[in-house]
Amino acid sequence: MNDQTPLQKNERSRLAKWSRRGFIGAGVLAGGGLLIGVGVRPGNPISDLAPKVAGGEGEQLINSWVKIGADNIVTAIVPHCEMGQGAHSVLGQMLADELDAAWDKVRVMQAPADGSYVVSDTARLFAAPFTMNAADWIEPTWNGLFTQIARFADVMITGGSSSIRSTGQRSMRVAGAAARKMLVGAAAEEWGVAPDEIETRDSTLIHTASGKSAPYSEFASAAAEQPMDQTPVLKKASEYRLMGKSKARTDIPSKVDGSAEFGIDSQPEGLELSYTAVVRPPVPGTTVTKMDAARAKDMPGVLQILNMGEFVAVVAESYWQAQQALNTIGIEWSKSESPVKTMDDQYAVFAKALDGAGATGGSEAAARGDANNALGNATKTLEAEYKVPYLAHAPMEPMNCTASYKDGKCDIWTSTQVPLIARTQVAGQLGMSKDDVIIHQPFLGGAFGRRLGAEYVAMAARVAKATGYPVKMIWSREEDTQKALYRNADTCRMRGGVDGAGKLIAFDSAFTQRHDPAEACVPAMYDIPNTAIRVAEADLHLPFQAWRSVDHSVQGFFIESFIDEAAEAAGKDPVEFRLAMLGKSPRHKAVLKKAAEIAKWGEETGEGTAKGVAIVESFGTIVAEVVEVDLTSGRPRLTNVWAACDAGYVMNPDGFRNQIEGGIVFGLTAAMYGELELKDGAIVQSNFHDYKMLRMDETPDIEVAIIDSGDVPVGGAGEPGLPPAAPALANAIFAATGKRLRQLPIAKQFA
Amino acid sequence: MHKGAVIGLSVFTMVLAGCGNDPAPKPVEQIVVREPGEAAKPESTSEVGVKDPAAAGVAAFATCSSCHVAEEGAASMAGPNLYGVVGRKAGSLDDFAYSDALVNSGITWTEAELDAFIADPAGKVPGTLMAAGAMPDAETRAAIVAYLRSLSE
Repeated sequence: MNDQTPLQKNERSRLAKWSRRGFIGAGVLAGGGLLIGVGVRPGNPISDLAPKVAGGEGEQLINSWVKIGADNIVTAIVPHCEMGQGAHSVLGQMLADELDAAWDKVRVMQAPADGSYVVSDTARLFAAPFTMNAADWIEPTWNGLFTQIARFADVMITGGSSSIRSTGQRSMRVAGAAARKMLVGAAAEEWGVAPDEIETRDSTLIHTASGKSAPYSEFASAAAEQPMDQTPVLKKASEYRLMGKSKARTDIPSKVDGSAEFGIDSQPEGLELSYTAVVRPPVPGTTVTKMDAARAKDMPGVLQILNMGEFVAVVAESYWQAQQALNTIGIEWSKSESPVKTMDDQYAVFAKALDGAGATGGSEAAARGDANNALGNATKTLEAEYKVPYLAHAPMEPMNCTASYKDGKCDIWTSTQVPLIARTQVAGQLGMSKDDVIIHQPFLGGAFGRRLGAEYVAMAARVAKATGYPVKMIWSREEDTQKALYRNADTCRMRGGVDGAGKLIAFDSAFTQRHDPAEACVPAMYDIPNTAIRVAEADLHLPFQAWRSVDHSVQGFFIESFIDEAAEAAGKDPVEFRLAMLGKSPRHKAVLKKAAEIAKWGEETGEGTAKGVAIVESFGTIVAEVVEVDLTSGRPRLTNVWAACDAGYVMNPDGFRNQIEGGIVFGLTAAMYGELELKDGAIVQSNFHDYKMLRMDETPDIEVAIIDSGDVPVGGAGEPGLPPAAPALANAIFAATGKRLRQLPIAKQFA
Repeated sequence: MHKGAVIGLSVFTMVLAGCGNDPAPKPVEQIVVREPGEAAKPESTSEVGVKDPAAAGVAAFATCSSCHVAEEGAASMAGPNLYGVVGRKAGSLDDFAYSDALVNSGITWTEAELDAFIADPAGKVPGTLMAAGAMPDAETRAAIVAYLRSLSE
């Protein structure tokens, strides 16, 4: 798919478009003031939506995304889930800013999962970025089209670090600005003044000349009758009142006082719940061949026992009783057809595919120049093979789902990143209409991609239907560690060539897994004249699911470890070596310089202590990290991490820092400890004692510097902190010991 | 082919994979002890499992393992490494910063001392840093101590 024609002028863009094109296309134009809006629904369907989202006393829906109460409370209706990342609050902040609402009078509510709140802008950002800067007159057409596509494909998704940059920029802000214009229009008519003489501030309409003023609530119903501008002019950065500020999150108070309701807390009114424990096949793809529940059926509290084919379930009066009874059931499983019984087998599958691809084979993901030929002409060449293991998401809140099936309707309460996909799966597996499935969405106690899969939702629904009991199904920790969906393992073979001046002139990378985002495997920021990126596809034994930063979590380690090896081969300092290749990437260069500056790169470190660096752009945000490691005890102790980030513009600096820090800790946890091993095709690790997390006492001090580079599209926050962490750590260990770690995890290599 | 479309495709593949499957089969086997709305039978009195002491110890130690390892040569975590703790003097590992209270306690960990400590750490050694993990259940304590003893022989 990449043409091979030498095209000197466009060489950079051929690679760069992988990572940038979609987001540049989606962008804010120069000056930051004109952002073409697509966020309000064509027409203004408030009469259809109001009964669903604005049924409260005195509430008036202004457009799809905002309602105003008689008490002048503004509520932003947010289509993304809240899983700790702060999306609810920051999206409310963006809408409220354009609306000129007072922050202490802003609330956020979860949009219902019934197809009226699909995130069409997220769909559009990924599927057709070329339509994003459409002319005003064609905008309603594109917008309507993508709403249809999104609805068809159940795109109500929280993932891809996209909430702010898609829905925030293109729905919430536009909806806020459009609603403000409608309020102003209503007041202007009533007061008999020109709309542009009316100011808005702190949820109040003000006409200075006449001394008139009114709270928004007074004109809410008249505003809803006003024409709605689909492309209102948005604020320039200099006009922001809430955006760019560390506003306190709306969801934190309830999480501090314990009133927040997560999926596992669900106790729907009027339902007397029973509880379900489940066991799934230890080896993927196998099924139950025999079930012996003789003992379980006589145990206290047990109500029903089900062999569902792909899993066994016990329904009991309490979760404990269900799980204890389940533990006594003897189950025989069918034989797996997978050739993979151990991780050695899995790596052998990868090796076979890579051997088959050889030096030039496999499918081409990106290419520039002629890497293979340039390797032959290089003064010095290097080769390395890297390996990463399977990883579990291990969210704190166990997988769970509460389901009630009654009179042909199914109600679901669950933590999910994909409520509409969950709805479709439940409807499909129960053989009913989607309209008869209602998904209620409490907070998520972590997800990290795990809850992009909804297989557990349909399981609970099937149990509820088969037994007639409304059930809360909870997976044990062991069940989710061993029988879930996983970050893939992979092997990557890299070759590099350095010329006489110490410049990297050839880069060749071959690996077996390419999931998402497509550009993750391409080191597009570096000006390397000959690059080949090749995929030699191989089968995975365990089912895949996107894991925080997805392919970047793997490719960041491969690419940035190898760049460090190339710097070593060239006899160059790792920071200087990278800077020399970033001549055409000024933002990346500035980020790397900033990280080096705050880390005091180049200054003496203590005996046995060293620093390593890595830089990765992911989800529209560039992050460079310097990790400092102390090896005086013979084992790596993480002392400091310095991160510099350019997300274009940061909407909530505190929230952004939290996400970057969280990404770093998540990445270091995986780098130090994360690993799933296989025995007889089944996962060995089971719980947090053998699938370890980084502890507070092991967590380094983290400093995050933010660069706002202004006139560029806004980037994501939830994932970009993660990819540089592992390679920066491995590079630091190399700097301290001379030992190059090409396989993760790290801790056990020092045991 | 347009790159944006490629990225989009992978998103939609994920999305569409969930759609339009045939209804799932009914249960292969369903044991009904009690239908919804039916009254409960008198409490069952059957015995729940006979435990293997060694396995019970490993399982019981899972509670402790959120703070302690018990592996030869492993670094201490939030709590000290408990490998070889039976017979050891309290507060004697080099790689763990014990409370003064524990260092000065004069305890040498016998099975009885360990049992008393795990039952109520702060009561047994006031000032200990072991803020969590008190184990009121005597049977579980016995299993934990037996397990630690097996690692100290």
